[in-house]
Amino acid sequence: MRRNMYAWINGPGQVFKDPLPGSTNYMSAYDKTGNLIRKRDRAETPEQDIDKAPEEGGSEKAGAWGVEGAAADEEGAGEAVEDALEKEMRRQAGEEKRNRAEGKDDKLPPENLEDLRPFPLNKMFRSQPVLSEELREAIWARVVKDGVSVPVVSVEFGVSNERVGAVVRLKQMEKEWIGEGKTLARPYSKAVLAMLPKTPYDPKNNRRPVVHESINDLIVHPATRQQIWEPVSESRRFTRVDAGRAFDASLLPADDRIPHPELVLVERESLAGLSKDERTQLAAKRMMDEQAKREKVERRKAEEAKRMQVVPGRRWDFVFQDVSVESVGRDGRGAGGVGWRYGFPHEDRKKGQVKIPTRVEG
Amino acid sequence: MRKRFHHLKKIRIRQDWSRWTLYNLSRLTQPNIENKTFFQQKWAAKSLTRAYHGEQVREKQWQRMFRRNLPGVVPMDHQYLARNDGSEQAAGRGSGADSKQRPRHLPPTPYMQMTFYPIERRLDTAIWRALFASSAKQARQFVVHGWVKVNGKKMIYPGYLLNPGDMFQVEPDRVMYATGARKDTTKHTRRRARKRASKPKEPKAPKLTPATKAPAITDSLKASPSVHTPTPTPPSPEELKERLMELMDETKAALETDKGIGAKDKQKLRDFKKAVRRAISAFRGETPDSFKSLEDQLAFIKARYSAAPSSSASDSPTALLDPDQEKLLTEAFNRIRDDTLSASDANPVDPKKPYATPWRPRDYMSAFAFIPRYLEVNQNVCAAVYLRHPVARPGLGEVPTPFAAETSQLAFNWYLKRR
Repeated sequence: MRRNMYAWINGPGQVFKDPLPGSTNYMSAYDKTGNLIRKRDRAETPEQDIDKAPEEGGSEKAGAWGVEGAAADEEGAGEAVEDALEKEMRRQAGEEKRNRAEGKDDKLPPENLEDLRPFPLNKMFRSQPVLSEELREAIWARVVKDGVSVPVVSVEFGVSNERVGAVVRLKQMEKEWIGEGKTLARPYSKAVLAMLPKTPYDPKNNRRPVVHESINDLIVHPATRQQIWEPVSESRRFTRVDAGRAFDASLLPADDRIPHPELVLVERESLAGLSKDERTQLAAKRMMDEQAKREKVERRKAEEAKRMQVVPGRRWDFVFQDVSVESVGRDGRGAGGVGWRYGFPHEDRKKGQVKIPTRVEG
Repeated sequence: MRKRFHHLKKIRIRQDWSRWTLYNLSRLTQPNIENKTFFQQKWAAKSLTRAYHGEQVREKQWQRMFRRNLPGVVPMDHQYLARNDGSEQAAGRGSGADSKQRPRHLPPTPYMQMTFYPIERRLDTAIWRALFASSAKQARQFVVHGWVKVNGKKMIYPGYLLNPGDMFQVEPDRVMYATGARKDTTKHTRRRARKRASKPKEPKAPKLTPATKAPAITDSLKASPSVHTPTPTPPSPEELKERLMELMDETKAALETDKGIGAKDKQKLRDFKKAVRRAISAFRGETPDSFKSLEDQLAFIKARYSAAPSSSASDSPTALLDPDQEKLLTEAFNRIRDDTLSASDANPVDPKKPYATPWRPRDYMSAFAFIPRYLEVNQNVCAAVYLRHPVARPGLGEVPTPFAAETSQLAFNWYLKRR
C-alpha cells in the first residue's frame, strides 16, 4: 500500500509538488495519469479549429458543469456575476488565441471553471478568485483618499460591502506596519497569490472593473423555507410585500432586505421617466437623510458617553454608569443583571459552563 | 493516543496539506451504499466526513454545534426588482404557462454541502482556511501557543467562534514556518551546523560608526532629553520647524549622494533612515497616536506646516513649509516606505530561521491552496477578516468539503435527532 502511494507520489502526483507557474494547480485540472487536461486538449485540437475553440470550450463547459452553462444563458444578478467571470475567461481565451496565432505558444491556456475544483468529488465547490493586490490598493485609495462611501465603492468595484470594509481595515494595518518599519511577509504573499485565481484590476485599459462577486445577496429567511397555502382573490394584486407578510408578519420584501436597496430605487426612478436633475435631487435628498440619521446616532452615543463617568487609573480606567436593580429580572438571574446577587452563587464553576469568550471588542 | 492519523487502507481525508491527504484525495470514491441499511449508510458517511470536518472537536461538542437550519442566499437582480413588484409571478394561467418570459432559472443550491458550516466558525479552522497554517491541528497549536490575535488581542482558545467582522492575525514568522518548505536536515547539513557551532566565535571588531559625522539633529535630540528626562515637554512649533529643516538638509544631502550604490552609500543611507526616523518620532509627540501609517503622518505634518495663513494664529508664519521643502519631505517619506518594502522583499538566506531559506512554499501546497469567500485575507500582514458565515448559493456551497453531496446529506441525516 505504501509502495502504491509512493508510486503515485513520484508518478502522477509529481505535478502537485511544486506550484504551476502562472496558474492554479488543483487536482481536477489533471487526468489520472497526471497530464494537464487543458494542455492536452489544446495539443489535440488541430490548428485550423483554433477559431472555434472558445465556443467549443463553452459548450463543453455547459455539458460538464451544467449549472454554469445554464446560468450564463439566463438574465439575473447571480448569473451576471458568473457572466462577468465567464466574460473574463473568454477574454483570456481570446488573448490566448491571438497569442497562438502570433506563434507565442509558450503560455498555458487559461483555466476554466472545471479546473478550479480542488476536490474532484465535490462538484459544488470551486476555488473562487481573490482580490488582486492592485484591486485592494485601488479600493483602499477610493475609500480613504477620495472619501467615497462604502456602498458606492462596493457598487463601483463589484465587491460586497463587508469585503470593502475588511479590505480597507487590512490595508490600513499594512500601511501602519510599513510606518512602524515592521517586516511584511512579502515572499509568502507573492507565492500564495500566484497559486490562487485572482480578480484583476487594470485601470489603464479603460475597462470597467471586473465584477468580483454578487453584491445583492438576499439571505434566505427561515420563514420562507416552508410552503404555505394562501388563498387570494383573483382580482387582487399580490405583490412581494404581501408575500412577505404571508410568510411572516415582520418579513420585509426583497427590495428592502438586499444590501443595496438604493440601486432598486435609482432604477425605479429612471424607469418612471424622471429627468436627470430630479433624479440627482432625489439621490442628494436620500444622502442627506442618511447623513442626518448617522449624525443622530452619533449624537446619542456622545450623550451616553457624557453620562458615563470615567476615572483614569494606573492600569485600568474606572467607569461609572447608571444601573438599575430591576435589570436582574423576576428570578434574579437575568443576563442584564449587575453585580453579585446574594443567594445566587456564580455558575462559572459548574459543569458544562463554557468560559471561552463569545466576542472580542476591537 | 491514536496509532495512526493518516490511513492508507481505510481512506480518511484530513485537514492538512500532507502527501498522504493528497494521495487519499486522488483515490477517494463515493462510499458503497449497496447492501447496506440506511443506518449503516449514515454511519459510514458520518465517520468519513467527521474525520475531515473538525476532527479535533469532540463528538458531543459537535452535536451541540450542529444546526439543522442551513444558511443560504439568492443573488438578486436590482433591475428585475425595480421592473416588477412580484405580482407578475401570480399573473397568467396555471404556473405561467402562457407567459412570454422564460422564468428565471437558477442552478440548485447545495444546502447539504453546508452540513458542517458551524465548524468553519472556529478560530483554528479559519486560520487554516486562510492559508496561515499547513493543517488545522497546526493552526490549533498556534492559537494555544499564543501566536494569534483576534481584533488585536491575544486569543488562546482554538474553539473561539468568530463573529462576522472579527479580524484575526497570526505572527508572520510562524506563518512562514508553517507554509514554507522544510529546512534541509540531512546528516551532512547537521554535521556542518555542528561544526560551525563548535568553532569558537571570534569577537567581532566593532565597526567604525560614523559617530563623528552624526547629524546635528541626533545631537540635539540626544542632548535635549538628557537635560529634562522625566517630563518630555512637547516641542514648540518653532523647535519642530527647526528639526524639520535639519531633516530637509539631510534628505537633500542623502539624495545627492545616492547616485551610485556602494557599501559606503548603503551605510550613508542607513544613517539617513535613522535620522529620518528620529525626526519623525520627534513629530510623534505632536502627531496623534492614531496616525501610525506614513501617509497619515505626512498628511498631518503637511496640514500643520504648509501654507494655511488664516487657520491659526498660534502657528507663526516662520513655522511654514515652502513647496520645495514639502516635496523633499514627501520624498523622504517615500524613501522610508521603499526601504521597508525592499527589506520585506529581500527573502535572504538565514540559517537561524526554522524554515528553508530563501523562503519557498512547502511541497504540495498549491493543490490545497484556495481561500473561501467568507474570509478576506491580507497575506502581507498575515491577517484576515471573517466577513460572514459561509452560505450556500445557487450552484455553490461555500464550505470546502471534499465529499460528494450525497455523502454530506447522509451525514446531515445522521445528526438529525431521529435516526
